[in-house]
Amino acid sequence: MTANMAATIPGQSARKYDLGFARWVYENIEGGDKLSMCMQCGVCSGSCPLGTEMDYGPRKLFMMVRAGMKDAVLKANTMYNCTSCYSCVVRCPRGVPVQYILQDLGRAAARMGYQEAKTTDNARFAKAFIWSTRKFGRTDERLFTFKYYLSFGLGEAIKKAMANMSIAIKLVKTKRMHLGMPHRIKGTKDLNAILAKAAEIEKREQGI
Amino acid sequence: MAPNSQTILVVGGGIAGISAAIEAAEAGADVVLLERSPTLGGRVAGLNRYFPKLCHPTCGLEINYQRIKKNKNIKLFTMAQVATVEGQAGNYKVTVKTTPRHVNAKCTACGACSEAATSEIPNPFNYGLDTVKAAYLPHEMAFPMRYVIDGSVVGTPEGDAIKSSCKYDAVDLEEKEKTFDLTVGAIIWATGWKPYDAARIEPYSYSESPDIITNVEMERLAAHNGPTKGQIVRPSDGEPARKVALIQCAGSRDTNHLPYCSAICCLGSLKHAAFVRQQYDDSQVDIYYIDIRAHDKLEAFYQKVKADSGIHFIKSKPGSIVVGEDGRPTVCGEDTLGRDIYANAYDIVVLATGMEPCSAREYRVPVEVEMDDYGFIVPKTGNGSGIFSAGVAQGPNDVSTSVQTATAAALRAIQAVRG
Ligand SMILES: Cc1cc2nc3c(=O)[nH]c(=O)nc-3n(C[C@H](O)[C@H](O)[C@H](O)COP(=O)(O)OP(=O)(O)OC[C@H]3O[C@@H](n4cnc5c(N)ncnc54)[C@H](O)[C@@H]3O)c2cc1C
Ligand code: SF4
Ligand code: SF4
Repeated sequence: MTANMAATIPGQSARKYDLGFARWVYENIEGGDKLSMCMQCGVCSGSCPLGTEMDYGPRKLFMMVRAGMKDAVLKANTMYNCTSCYSCVVRCPRGVPVQYILQDLGRAAARMGYQEAKTTDNARFAKAFIWSTRKFGRTDERLFTFKYYLSFGLGEAIKKAMANMSIAIKLVKTKRMHLGMPHRIKGTKDLNAILAKAAEIEKREQGI
Repeated sequence: MAPNSQTILVVGGGIAGISAAIEAAEAGADVVLLERSPTLGGRVAGLNRYFPKLCHPTCGLEINYQRIKKNKNIKLFTMAQVATVEGQAGNYKVTVKTTPRHVNAKCTACGACSEAATSEIPNPFNYGLDTVKAAYLPHEMAFPMRYVIDGSVVGTPEGDAIKSSCKYDAVDLEEKEKTFDLTVGAIIWATGWKPYDAARIEPYSYSESPDIITNVEMERLAAHNGPTKGQIVRPSDGEPARKVALIQCAGSRDTNHLPYCSAICCLGSLKHAAFVRQQYDDSQVDIYYIDIRAHDKLEAFYQKVKADSGIHFIKSKPGSIVVGEDGRPTVCGEDTLGRDIYANAYDIVVLATGMEPCSAREYRVPVEVEMDDYGFIVPKTGNGSGIFSAGVAQGPNDVSTSVQTATAAALRAIQAVRG
């Protein structure tokens, strides 16, 4: 949050304008070609269940894209807070595929090495999620939650786990979380081959 | 070769159709004017007052009715629609279909039939906000000034009672649908618009609360001859509506609904803000907008409304309107000038729904015409064709522009029939 604030305070060195950024987004981000249709009406941000959690709602983020505020955009937590509920996509009066754009901006930020793509809460959570998916072919709530906690360091992880223990016990009692060996699907190997192929295609499409 | 027929057919008797018919007739042409409903006047008759000068619609309509009465060149058929058109410019064979009014020309509008009627039907003039007797006068500015008897009472004891109540033998319950043919040289489509169906804008919950209304319903609430005799109140409980939200572009400029700007709704809502403020000193009106489109001569009205400290402008297209726990409609969205996420409760929320041309979906134009992507009929269709359009059938126009397009259409039609 502080880094983002700095990026928007006039006179601070972090404020950088890249006048080619909007064009780059139009041409390289999925759905970006439709971004020029945005009329800044506010429906997306006003419809977003996570709108208040985001550094900027989609509408403001898109204005910042147009203004060329590359760093501020790619450091924002907006992309990682999106839950892909698609409210914005179905309601946008201009046919802007808001969610697709956010998703791909997040990927671009990760590729370009922006730290926020690794350190925001939801980025950590997504990482733990894909770890569990790769390993077991499904989410093991217990292990993947702990994996997520671990991304903050062991001490912090134990603290977080203890704090949530009573919830965990209830989940176990209602059979929403299980103890013992993790359940796996049969074809984890095949699944990983599919995921590897997807990564390969993505790389090819990005021309990397 | 001279055209065979010099008669001009005008379809639709709103302000545009009326104006086109009168202009052509006063220039000497023979005119047939067809109106689908029981009366002339169209949507303008349903406005409380109309901008820019906030005139009562009677002013505009009454003078035109006088001109029609005085002019022998105009033949008027109400409750009449075009079924088929064949032929070409100068010689169109038109089949007209009429639906029964069950009241003939002997009617003096004494109202005895309405006294005798016992059943009620939803009142189309008030957009169903109240009901009328099954024998009714469409509204106080009806032309012809003649009652209508709803088909539902035909063949019932109520129908018989209505018939015997009329001293002038004007009730005709035997009347059936009829068709007749016309030969005309040119046709002007002036079939106007209908309000965009607010229920289709799901996030705005129009169907969920009686206190979420449309702009055309607001016109009726504010009108002295409306369902509340001009009191702007909450339809749910009749309490004064002191805190009011007006939502611009409800369904307009929206690729999910009407992709175009309806052009009049901004001014319409500025007018509604003034209605509320005039009625209650302690009222508050919030206008939610993307941008206010008050151009040319209408800018002055905008400036006047803006100067009123009881009217606030919030630059935001709301994401949703929900019914709060206290039952009041609550407008939710993002204020785009700051970045505040708001949820504001109101007595009533008015959706400024746009104008959808009737020619788009309401009826099928029974002859080949050129339409734009939204169903508006282009002003002069095809080379050498005798088919024209006027008013909102042509584009989202206000009254004065509708009248201009009507005069233009009359002139083009005269040129077409005179060859
Ligand atoms: C909420 C609101 C407020 C407005 N306020 C103002 C204002 O203050 N000032 C202003 O200048 N404008 C205002 N307008 C715009 C104004 O209503 C239109 O400009 C006007 O109604 C256009 O007249 P018209 O004759 O083209 O269409 P209409 O008024 O729609 O008339 C069309 C007529 O054709 C008939 N018809 C339809 N289909 C057929 C058919 N198939 N066969 C035969 N007849 C048919 C209809 O019954 C109707 O009588 C407002 C609009 C809205 C939505
Ligand atoms: S809803 Fe669509 S047009 Fe409106 S601000 Fe969001 S992206 Fe832009
Ligand atoms: S899809 Fe993402 S950005 Fe769009 S409304 Fe849902 S959470 Fe918000």
